[in-house]
Amino acid sequence: MFKKKLTLKILSVLIFSDLLETFTQFCFKKSTFSQSEFYITGLLDSVVFLKGVFSSPFLWVGLLSVALTFIIWSTILSKIDLSVAVPIASFSYILVPLVSIIFLHEKISALRWLGIFFILAGVIFVSLSSREKEANLE
Amino acid sequence: MKPGLIFILSLIALTSICDTINQLFLKSAINSLKISLTANIVKILQFIIRLIRTPRVWVGFLFSVLSLCIWLFVLSKVDLNYAFSADSMHYIFIAFASRHVLKENVGFKRWAGTIFIIIGIILVSLS
Repeated sequence: MFKKKLTLKILSVLIFSDLLETFTQFCFKKSTFSQSEFYITGLLDSVVFLKGVFSSPFLWVGLLSVALTFIIWSTILSKIDLSVAVPIASFSYILVPLVSIIFLHEKISALRWLGIFFILAGVIFVSLSSREKEANLE
Repeated sequence: MKPGLIFILSLIALTSICDTINQLFLKSAINSLKISLTANIVKILQFIIRLIRTPRVWVGFLFSVLSLCIWLFVLSKVDLNYAFSADSMHYIFIAFASRHVLKENVGFKRWAGTIFIIIGIILVSLS
């Protein structure tokens, strides 16, 4: 099974999918703003909650963005290995907090950043392990 | 750690589990189709159509809808940066599921990565 090396074109598409993933999460968060005081105690409440969220245009933009991300990922994975794609894609673990600070005015402490870097390292380790598997298949 | 955070963490775990179940159904559906890798756009479309006609994909899809609903509720309660970081726990569930359900080999690097993610989630939750 031969796959191309990471080219500048694929890299740009990957970074674009990172941005898209971050945009999706931003839209989802925005769509729940009107419902932040909502407490769900029963099944009926959750229907009312979802009705409120689904009436926000942000949610639909987010869902569109999910579909687009899925298509882009399917294409990327036919061109390069998962073990190369995932570490680059995991930059959304940095991008989402940055967007949270800039556009959602959330605050992130030093300890939380440390945690985020641990998660990032973990995700990269996990994806590198699939390289061993792919190497064994060849 | 704020009160109620355990509840939110459990909900995030629930969305991660739903996501993992979705992935398992998707993977098993794809495995059953026995396709070869291609960059041909027509072949990819044919593959997607065959995939959509597999019932297992729809079961997985139901779980991903459930996961989205819980995720939206979580986002209405906590900061996005917290929820997104904690959601990385799906890597842990996927590692376990790959090992025990799909009987895949999970190597040392994957377990090391999983432990890093757990430490990260604990640090993020403490702050």
